[in-house]
Amino acid sequence: MREEAFRFGRARHLVGIAGVPDGSDGETGVIVLNAGLVHRIGPFRLHVELTRQLNSAGYPTLRFDLSTLGDSGASGGGLTRTQQVCADVDDAMRLLAERAGCKRFVLVGLCSGAQNAHTVAASDPRVSGAVFLDGYAYRTLGYKLRHYLPRALDPARWARFLRHRAGGGGTDKAASEPVFAVAPAPREEVIADFTGMVGRGMKLYLVYSGGISYCFNHARQFRECFGKVMDHPAVTTSYRAETDHTYILTGDRARLVDGIGGWLARNFPPASGRHA
Amino acid sequence: MRNDPELPFFFGAESGLFGMYHAPVSVPRRAVLMCPPLGQELIRTHRLYRQLAQALAAQGVAVLRFDYHGTGDSAGDSAEVDWNRCIGDAVTAAGELRSRAGVDRVVAFGARLGGSIALGAADRARFAEVIAWDPVVNGDDYVAALDTMQAALREDADRFSRPRTHADVAEQWLGFDIGESLRKQLMGLRVAPPNVPTLVLDSLPADAAPRWEHLVSRRGKVAAISPPTPWNDLRRLEAAILSHPLIQAVSGRMTEDA
Repeated sequence: MREEAFRFGRARHLVGIAGVPDGSDGETGVIVLNAGLVHRIGPFRLHVELTRQLNSAGYPTLRFDLSTLGDSGASGGGLTRTQQVCADVDDAMRLLAERAGCKRFVLVGLCSGAQNAHTVAASDPRVSGAVFLDGYAYRTLGYKLRHYLPRALDPARWARFLRHRAGGGGTDKAASEPVFAVAPAPREEVIADFTGMVGRGMKLYLVYSGGISYCFNHARQFRECFGKVMDHPAVTTSYRAETDHTYILTGDRARLVDGIGGWLARNFPPASGRHA
Repeated sequence: MRNDPELPFFFGAESGLFGMYHAPVSVPRRAVLMCPPLGQELIRTHRLYRQLAQALAAQGVAVLRFDYHGTGDSAGDSAEVDWNRCIGDAVTAAGELRSRAGVDRVVAFGARLGGSIALGAADRARFAEVIAWDPVVNGDDYVAALDTMQAALREDADRFSRPRTHADVAEQWLGFDIGESLRKQLMGLRVAPPNVPTLVLDSLPADAAPRWEHLVSRRGKVAAISPPTPWNDLRRLEAAILSHPLIQAVSGRMTEDA
């Protein structure tokens, strides 16, 4: 197996790396979308490690830069960002279909990548599966109880608060600068999208990390956020409280990659006898 | 093959190195090889490297960006990054650039360890000049800074809900596995002055400025660019490093060179 670099797309404006296992064509191709503004290799090279491990398991993959991100340029087509994302992923699916004969696709995205994967998955019938890493989330009542109640009952926290007030309330702690963030979409709309996705046979894998504790803090919150569609057998969820948002520790990253590989193997078994 | 102004491709032994060639509009007479830094600094400077490459291509310079073995889109695992191989990859990339651009005169640019690699490869790669942005000249200090940040990362409350174990963060630097050999290689790193003209672009904070004199005493100079670049700020670890002054400084130097 060797990776190939491509400039592709309707305006030859996109750049991506395809990995196609040796042997016969693969039915299911995996496409990995940008996480935030990080170019196609992904945070700490997550997308490289993921796509290569999936190639070893027999899946054709494409990691690429959406328009204006990484090494990709603008298409100049005057589309809205949402339309552009759909057009770019359409170009990516066409490339992987041409190179590896893929007929169906699984999209993988972290943060804004999950949002973009969601947008395409909600409307494109070629998308048969999606892995949403820290995708849409909402502060539910359960979230607030889990978040605020322990703090309200913690005497040490009260003592710190009172000392702080007595000392004038100043702080020299610089606020951390958010790099990744997912713009909210109406919750009912997201639930309807999920329902539509599983209704047409899609398989979903939602993996949320402890790195988004400002809006998500327990495995139960999948159900609290999205309701009964989370109980559908086509939906798999995983909450990894110990990890950060971008999987900076290599052990966490390896476990995430293994988890995605396992989910794919269970839901989209690769063609047999075509990989090492 | 179409003549795309920016062409991604693989080259080198077993086609394992990723490159992005920026072809200028006119027939080039000069070329710049952009040597990336390692680890998270490679990701943080990716956008800036692209912007600089485009600026240089617009002024008639052929540019090659590339990734060393074990980094970026190139073959190999992160733990396989090896200093000597990085130097060798820079030499290979210089040859690839000469071949694609049809020019012999190649200037190397590199940020941080990319600058150190460019300096280390200068003779073998026959660079006409090296432009090094905050190069790492003393490996001990660099390793110590990375170890300090990695230790702080373990209990970074902005990242983890509770501190991680020492084992969780061992043998890594800020998101990347490191092999024992790379650690030793970097600890022993002392960048010697190259036999070519050298321009050091200095954007380190005033209290962190190393002594560049030994690098530039004979055939080089130092130019300060501001504001200081936050290379070692854990809170900005995933924020891109962008610098218009850097682009101006390198573009300006290449204009002088025309």
